[in-house]
Amino acid sequence: MAGKAASAVYDVGQFGRFVWRSWVSSARSIGMRETYPLIWAQMLIIGVRSVPVVMITGAFVGMTLGVQAYDQLAGMGLEEHLGVLINISVVKELGPVLAAVMLAGRIGGALTAELGTMKVTEQIDAIESMGTDPVRYLVAPRVLACLFLTPALIIYADLLGVAGGWFVSVVHLNINARAYWNFSASGVELWDVTCGVIKGFFFGGAIAVISCYKGFHCKEGAQGVGRACTEAFVTSLISILMIDFVLVVIFKTIYNMLWTLRSLVG
Amino acid sequence: MTDSRKSKVQDKADNSEQPATKDVAEPGGNDSVKDSDGLIVLRNVTKKFGDHVVLDGLNLAVEKGKTTVVIGPSGCGKTVLLKHMILLHRPTSGEIYFKGQRIDNISEEQSNGVRANFGYLFQEGALFDSLSVAENIMFPVRQHCRITRSSAVEELVKQKLTMVGLNGFQDFFPANLSGGQRKRVALARAIALGPEVILYDEPTTGLDPIRADIINELILKLERELAVTSVAVTHDMRSAYKIADRIVMLHHGRIVADGDADQIRNHPNRIVQQFIKGEVSKKDLEALRSASTGNSIRLHCDIEE
Repeated sequence: MAGKAASAVYDVGQFGRFVWRSWVSSARSIGMRETYPLIWAQMLIIGVRSVPVVMITGAFVGMTLGVQAYDQLAGMGLEEHLGVLINISVVKELGPVLAAVMLAGRIGGALTAELGTMKVTEQIDAIESMGTDPVRYLVAPRVLACLFLTPALIIYADLLGVAGGWFVSVVHLNINARAYWNFSASGVELWDVTCGVIKGFFFGGAIAVISCYKGFHCKEGAQGVGRACTEAFVTSLISILMIDFVLVVIFKTIYNMLWTLRSLVG
Repeated sequence: MTDSRKSKVQDKADNSEQPATKDVAEPGGNDSVKDSDGLIVLRNVTKKFGDHVVLDGLNLAVEKGKTTVVIGPSGCGKTVLLKHMILLHRPTSGEIYFKGQRIDNISEEQSNGVRANFGYLFQEGALFDSLSVAENIMFPVRQHCRITRSSAVEELVKQKLTMVGLNGFQDFFPANLSGGQRKRVALARAIALGPEVILYDEPTTGLDPIRADIINELILKLERELAVTSVAVTHDMRSAYKIADRIVMLHHGRIVADGDADQIRNHPNRIVQQFIKGEVSKKDLEALRSASTGNSIRLHCDIEE
């Protein structure tokens, strides 16, 4: 029992040290032109190639919400308010979270498998033996690419989510388009969209750091790499949900403070 | 091999059937070293992974310009020893010196500067899968040098590949190379920065005798042409005899024999003789022969049609 507790504390300490090294290396890499090609390459893999997956996720989230909520709102004669419900859910919560979950599966697994294989075939040791910091060379470009492109991918998910909701509500369920958009515009604020996009920075950072850490510390053999990939996805998923909860509480507190200030000024 | 070096041959043989650990040198005993003894000096180095002791108070001085070969059975700590020299591992206790400067306690950033003096040939080559042969060789150059002319780098790659007999393979990827070719490309990458020391981790393992001899010849060629200091770990005695100026044998994390090829061949230590001749001990052999092969156990599967 004591041994397990000591091991857990050691693991947490090791992860904390890795996170610190990753952030320091990433911050330094921003000012180093020679690392830009590495960052662009990761942006292509992580960002550009994830666009279709994230867009499909967003579209189906919007469409499903429309179908699910229509009957309940129509029963109260409020079907024209469907746009508010769909769009606020998409931009504030479901778009960012589900896009991040998709990215954790697509990118997180790939990052862990790639770095894990490099670890077991001594390629990471080879980088270190040549006097290059493997965290700066391998982790920093991936962290920066995830950090900058996850918010962008969330915007894509939001756009397709809104489009999917419109398609089901207006085209399929014949809700008046003008009423649909008017209610949406009155219910969804720029603040809601901003909150969703800001979440992307945190989700992206968490996915990249967790996946890289699991890859760097995976055990020998194919089983070790497979296990590291599973752990990376599960840990990323739980982290996304936890970060989401914490950010929702923080954003709500900030919003209430700003709303009070605005009322006082107004 | 100097006379003083010859006198270092340890005479701790015990031909009786005592436990192996009784045969080994005591840490800090006869094999203790001074900083001035070598280019790389390990003093009382102990390495533990959890409770498992891999290196046990090891003392070793690697002489400049010579090829030192570390032999020993699998799992005795040869690779761990090699990785300590380039700071891929840090000792649990003890000190490591390079050119008289203590390096085991320097920061990661400082250690990158030290590592630039070394070339390391990994057991499986450790070539980067996603990079071509040329890009693999350019990697250390790009990391440490300001490149003003790309033609100069291409020339360097060509020169290094010519040295290992693989010019023309620049655009190949590691997946398209044989095991021997991969090791030769890895060797070209290891010498790309013109290191003072080259560390070889099992350079001939997994190669057929002819390919293994090519690698041995390359190691000798590099020593001759580049005047580098080499440390190789291997359990291939043919390779060890061919390339070594000095052979050191590790057993249970300690040095049990240290001398030139002839001294090792004639070493009185039972463990050394068993290893170099590739013989199993009588006790192990009897245990192996008397053990059941499992033939007495048969599974009876009745297959019903």
